[in-house]
Amino acid sequence: MLQAVTSLSQGVHRPDDRAVTSDLTVDESLLLHALGWEPVDLVFGVSVTAVQAGAWTWGRGQLQSPSDAHNLAVSTASSRLRQECAAVGGHGVVGVRAGVEIHPRHVDVALVGTAVRPIGSDRPPVQPFVSGLSARDFALLAAAGWSPIGLAFGASFVYAPRRDAATALRQSRQNVELTNPTQALYAAREAAMERMQASGLALGAQGVVGVQIAEGPMTFARHVIGFTARGTAVRLLAGEHRTITPDIVLPLNDAVVQFEAEALRGRR
Amino acid sequence: MTGPSDLPSGAEHRLEELRGGFFTSDLSVNEFLLVKEAGFHPLGFVMGSSIYHTGFQGRRWSKSQELTKLTEAMYNARELAMTRMEEEADELGADGVVGVRLDVNYYEWGSDAAEFIALGTAVKAEDGKSYRNRLGKPFTSDLSGQDFWTIMQTGHIPQGLVMGTCVYHIAHRGLGQALSSVGQNVELPNFTQALYEARELAMTRMQDEGTRLGATGIVGVRLEEKSHQWGSHTIEFLSIGTAVTKTGEVSLPKPTVIISLDN
Amino acid sequence: MSAAGDVPEAASRRLESGSFSSGLSATDFSACLQMGLRPVGLVQGFCAMQWGWYAAGSSLGRGLSPFGPSGGGGYQQNWYCPHGFVGGEHRTWGQNFEQTWVEDAWRTGFSAAFDRMLEEAESVGAHGVIGVTDTSRHLADTRVIEFHLLGTAVVVDGAPSPPAGTPWSTYLAGPRLAKLVEAGFMPVSVVATMASVRVWAYCITEFLMEGGAYGWAASMGSTAEIEQVSEARLAARVLAREQARRQLGSDTLQGIAFSAVEREIGAGDQVVECTLRGTRVRRFKDFDPLPPPRPTVRLS
Repeated sequence: MLQAVTSLSQGVHRPDDRAVTSDLTVDESLLLHALGWEPVDLVFGVSVTAVQAGAWTWGRGQLQSPSDAHNLAVSTASSRLRQECAAVGGHGVVGVRAGVEIHPRHVDVALVGTAVRPIGSDRPPVQPFVSGLSARDFALLAAAGWSPIGLAFGASFVYAPRRDAATALRQSRQNVELTNPTQALYAAREAAMERMQASGLALGAQGVVGVQIAEGPMTFARHVIGFTARGTAVRLLAGEHRTITPDIVLPLNDAVVQFEAEALRGRR
Repeated sequence: MTGPSDLPSGAEHRLEELRGGFFTSDLSVNEFLLVKEAGFHPLGFVMGSSIYHTGFQGRRWSKSQELTKLTEAMYNARELAMTRMEEEADELGADGVVGVRLDVNYYEWGSDAAEFIALGTAVKAEDGKSYRNRLGKPFTSDLSGQDFWTIMQTGHIPQGLVMGTCVYHIAHRGLGQALSSVGQNVELPNFTQALYEARELAMTRMQDEGTRLGATGIVGVRLEEKSHQWGSHTIEFLSIGTAVTKTGEVSLPKPTVIISLDN
Repeated sequence: MSAAGDVPEAASRRLESGSFSSGLSATDFSACLQMGLRPVGLVQGFCAMQWGWYAAGSSLGRGLSPFGPSGGGGYQQNWYCPHGFVGGEHRTWGQNFEQTWVEDAWRTGFSAAFDRMLEEAESVGAHGVIGVTDTSRHLADTRVIEFHLLGTAVVVDGAPSPPAGTPWSTYLAGPRLAKLVEAGFMPVSVVATMASVRVWAYCITEFLMEGGAYGWAASMGSTAEIEQVSEARLAARVLAREQARRQLGSDTLQGIAFSAVEREIGAGDQVVECTLRGTRVRRFKDFDPLPPPRPTVRLS
């Protein structure tokens, strides 16, 4: 260790390496390295897709245009991410963070992640994988014999009709379930999850892990209930699942220590 | 040990009970165990507070300057709260106070009045040696139980929570100035210097406190910037950290590589 | 050691006093000592910049043509109306362009603050600066942006005093820095870049982003990508990355923190700003693979 540190006081230069950019943490880079993988480049995928004018203001049941726009935006962004990854010789993208914003007139999707490859490999596959899993999760999955394939996603937006005035008046002093929004939420969830599963199956996946959902009335159209879901589609590569037996630790930290230098700004 | 001073009678009674061996603390179980591991025993939850009226000082619209009267007020009020907390700890025969938090609260009953409060857990060494600082007072530190243990393992002992503050007024930019530089994104050396100076003053004052305690250094320095209730152009720059002295060598075990399955 | 160049009086007095101050947490501090780095002082650098979004956010924006020489080079992409309308209200063409002057100003502010921080570090004879944090924010309600960098200057215990030239710097500190060094990388410098792209919408982008009563739009029913905006947002990201890459030589930019902000400034018009920061690191020895990590579960 000391020898290593001593070199911090001198300058060492090795001109043969090529420039690499990566948003992995030190831990993640080391973990990947232990598996025989290395980061190649920070890659991006962006898509902004239009929602048909007036899509939120009328309709019955499911609103087609917003969910089409959502799916188009995610799949376009995801395939751009794949292209960027392939262009730099990556085998896949790990730790993809997705920013998905649904506006009245457009759906914005921005993906960012780090392209990785087996160390020294110069023969990237035709279809690199895309994974929302952190490098740690990627490492654990790989150890268990699984590989991520791509993002699975689905969205649905359902119109929840208001109670008519007479019903509202009659129920104004009662405890009642509001059946319209409840039904709408159920419908939205079913449709979105179904679409996510379908997109996973289309990728040839055996399952979807790390599903994240967002649900609720849209801020700009309270009468529409939205449900979006996305996760990472995975497939078993090895012959069978390899079990991992963890050690049990009892940490004395109250919380995982994050980058503590931030505390300098008084944001502790 | 110094005699009881201006502590209220309620505190006297509470502290009397604590001297019997019963302890209270706001340490978590993990922190409690690590403080014990470091060779200290918690004595009691101690606090000090001061409700302080900050005076008024005129500001010049277009001049960046330190507002010394406000600086003094902010400093004295915190110092009072800290001293009262130290007195409580002293009453308990403590060697130090860990996990100190310094807060400022504003209440409805006065726009220029604020409560400055210091809270922490008094601890005493189990080996019978005195760990008080060179002013003969219990040491204070804003380190958590975990951090306290870690620092002790590096061969350092906390001496005191040290701080420096500087209340600064940032000049408004006049219309003439604004127009003269329209269309240029250029450096404004005056602003750069003013802000530099304000933070340097706070940090230097903190470091002077550390020097008085004979500290080797100050760890965990935080720079906080608050406008309190003075409007956005008047900012308090508060610099705060724990002064430590080196007494031994680093004795931390080499860490093991683990990969956590928890999120 | 005497104070270098223009390190302010107050700072040099603080840095010359006997004790050190450090922004390191207890964990970082102990990891630092363990790896043989000794903190010598908190060092910082500032730069306050006048900041006007002329030709971008102001109401004058429409008057100042972005299509002229003000483009300033860099990324630029044109979009033309397919409708063949002629009229003042109809935006017959649009443009995405890189606001190189904004990027230049940002770079000036950041690097001035950065250089000043390094000057302070040099004045205390430091080998490097660890645990750097940087902020750029609007001062009060003024049209001034302040860049502030702050870090802890360290010397390598037992090593000869640093060679001339600037000390190395890193956003990392403590255990993470220790791991990085153990993995065979040494920090070279913190790197931060900013890219700013302006979207000047043409008719289709304007309609798709904002809607409006356009007769010609009735035919545009189906869900479609808003290409101009997608292009601009991707371009801003790639520009930020490529700016960083140009500073890297053959090194690695590690632990990138990336952020993007989109500011709407009119119907379909927006500014996309991306910032990217990370530590430039250089391999100085081959990597000894980690011992295989043990998976654990916390009992809590």
